[in-house]
Amino acid sequence: MSFGFPWGLLALGALVPLVAAYFLRRRQKPVVVSALFLWRTPRPRAEAGPRWERFTREASLLLEALAVIAAALYLADVRLGETARTKHLVLVVDGSLSMSARGPDGVTVLEQARREAAKRVEDEAATRVTVLATGLSPRVVAGPEAEPSRALAALESFEARGADHDPMPTLLWAQELASTGKHVAFFTDAAPMEGLVIPAPVRWTALGAARDNVALISAQRKDEGGTATVTLRVARFGPGPESVAVRLRALPGPDAKQGTERVEKVSLQGEGTATLRLTFQSAGDIEVSLPDDALPEDGHARLAVAPTRPLAVSLAQGMGSLERDALERFLGASPEVARDGASGEVLLIGPRGTDAKVTVGASGKSRTFVGPFFSEKGHPLLDDVQLAGVRWSAGENPPGRPLVTAGDAVLVSEEDDGRVHLNVDLSRSNVQRVSAWPVLLGNVVREARRAREGFVRRQLTLGEPLQLVTLPGKRYTLVGPGGSKPVFGAGAVSLPPPATPGRYVLERDDADTVDSAEVLALDARESDLRGRTSADVPAKESGEDEARANASDRARWPLVLLLLALLGDFYVTRRAS
Amino acid sequence: MSERLDEAAVGRLAPGLALALPRGPHRGRVGEVRASSTGSSLELHDFRAYQPGDDLRQLDWNAVARTDELILRVRQDEVSPRVEVVLDGSRSMALSARKAACARELALLACEVGARQGLSPTLLATGVRSERVQGSACRAALRTLEFDAGDDLVTALGRLPPPRACGLRVVVSDFLFEADLSAMAARLSRGAAGFFLVQVLDAEDLAPSGGEGARLVDSESGAALEELLTEDVLAAYARRFEEHQRLLRAAALRSRGALLTAPATESLDALVRGALRPLFVAGGHA
Repeated sequence: MSFGFPWGLLALGALVPLVAAYFLRRRQKPVVVSALFLWRTPRPRAEAGPRWERFTREASLLLEALAVIAAALYLADVRLGETARTKHLVLVVDGSLSMSARGPDGVTVLEQARREAAKRVEDEAATRVTVLATGLSPRVVAGPEAEPSRALAALESFEARGADHDPMPTLLWAQELASTGKHVAFFTDAAPMEGLVIPAPVRWTALGAARDNVALISAQRKDEGGTATVTLRVARFGPGPESVAVRLRALPGPDAKQGTERVEKVSLQGEGTATLRLTFQSAGDIEVSLPDDALPEDGHARLAVAPTRPLAVSLAQGMGSLERDALERFLGASPEVARDGASGEVLLIGPRGTDAKVTVGASGKSRTFVGPFFSEKGHPLLDDVQLAGVRWSAGENPPGRPLVTAGDAVLVSEEDDGRVHLNVDLSRSNVQRVSAWPVLLGNVVREARRAREGFVRRQLTLGEPLQLVTLPGKRYTLVGPGGSKPVFGAGAVSLPPPATPGRYVLERDDADTVDSAEVLALDARESDLRGRTSADVPAKESGEDEARANASDRARWPLVLLLLALLGDFYVTRRAS
Repeated sequence: MSERLDEAAVGRLAPGLALALPRGPHRGRVGEVRASSTGSSLELHDFRAYQPGDDLRQLDWNAVARTDELILRVRQDEVSPRVEVVLDGSRSMALSARKAACARELALLACEVGARQGLSPTLLATGVRSERVQGSACRAALRTLEFDAGDDLVTALGRLPPPRACGLRVVVSDFLFEADLSAMAARLSRGAAGFFLVQVLDAEDLAPSGGEGARLVDSESGAALEELLTEDVLAAYARRFEEHQRLLRAAALRSRGALLTAPATESLDALVRGALRPLFVAGGHA
């Protein structure tokens, strides 16, 4: 049994005067009369008997008490069994990193949100609670419609480590989940922006406080040879210290016996930002930390070893000297490119007519074009490729899908298997001498690099999508701080930004670990705590109003019982009179 | 006005009173009053044909000579009529001491006057222990009579022996109960040449006092009724009482009897000279 409106039970107080009136009337002086029948309306049928008459007063009292109880139950909105009233409360918690900021009293905003949520659950007498966390991808922390204790327990173990995001999709989702109850409580650390349209049933509670903060806004590590280069960007939000000590602790690498620890003092004068670049030799993971402040999480980063993966490029035999020179010139200036590497993944560039990944050259009768050139807009190979002023001589059309054409000549084409053909006669063209040439080859190298299995980037900040490449026919699993999940799709796969920072490992069924990436808890917008404040914006559409509107949902049986009791009392007292 | 059985008052009134006997024939023992049955008195009642077994002395020989048929003289019997006094022993008769005393005194007066009149008085009391006494025992019975029956007169009649033929039957009660009044009157008048319903009513029966709430308790059944005795309630009571009296009077007349209402507030002398005058007529054997 549950009560939708427990205050309705106060109606039971009517029993007191009822019983009192009963006993007061019992004490009325008895007056013996010769014939009682002359005092009441004659009845066409015989009396039920004196015993019934004797208990008329008691029966009337019982029926009146029953009527009072039924009325109280109706007012209290009693529900029994499966129809017991379920008051559903949807709690939405901001999942962004700034919720982990400490207030002046040292309590995190998230902890305050937990307390407020527990209080709200108790005040609302919610019987079912759903907890949602906002984020770039909204997620369910508890529920839907979980037991309040379980939901609050889930909220206790929840950590707000997400990137800056828009909470509206989560609030709209919460509105849908709340359905008729219309009880949505949103806990965050900032007041809604001016003009923001909040869903009507949402009560927006901001528990934050404006604080100064110094944070890492980016951290990168690059390992080349035995040297690890760490690039840090430190920012100050608010009138904080003008300098800060950055502590870097390098764990020993495979070839080192002991690690190193360095403390660098960084000046934050002026714009309040500073860039720090340091190198370590034979270092393992490098831990970067700033002094603890309002948001300690954004002052710590662990940079794992991130060796560069140079792309092996090989030039096939039979290539003309002009083509070879033009390619050599580009490859010599291109970073992270290895020539004739032993790796199995080699970008082979060859002359026209070979089965190289990229062919350069023309065959047949050449024709020269100065424009207009037509490019397939949006193709990654043609990013920023400007052909204005280019004189392009091309031979017979290569096979594949045309990417760049001039008249009826196909200058660049791509086959279904990814082979690219550059139909160019460099002896009569100036393509290799304009900026379009390195840009075009850079795009080719970039696409070849992107086609390698593993993560595209190994160090990401909060809110960046997790991009990786998988091989066709293989099954992959992504293992992260929140558990593991299968990766669907082949080729370039872009996964939603991870909800929590940490190390993410890509595993393949036939190999243990393919690659790993580190998501750092860094987000400049979350580190800026100057605009955080406390506020309480009530819901525009109260759940109580909804409850009143849904008064027809109340159980009808107390009302029926009330009417029956009143009718029975009327019948009994009518007999007695 | 005495609250107990005032035997002295009865003794003063009885010598100057006589019961109003009916003019029709009576039934009873042989006596001075013509009976409804045939008998051996000198009063010729009828002639009829002789039937075997008839007394030959009653043959009208003159008629036999004239008609050659055996004609029998049928003479009316002469009886000594009885008076039966039925006293309601229910609790309502003791609603007040005066009501109980008045009922006893009226019953005693009827017995005394009947005895003086040569009518053999019989008292039937319908208490918890029904009594049937005759003659001088009636006085003693009335002294000790308790109005203790928890049922009404109609129900209590079932505990009495079957009514016998009598000259006059006087029923003393308040007749304030719900029953088929016509059937009750017919039953009470059975075997009696004449009967009177003497209704003894208390002042509260006639005009109940109001003004406050009360729990009205039926004196016999114990049933209770919460009522605020307002003017409207009292007026309703008066209407129902009048209707009840009308029905009772009609039932008595239908049974060739009479309803005499005796307010207990009045003295016995005043009642005899007033409301009970049809029963007690002046001119007894003083």
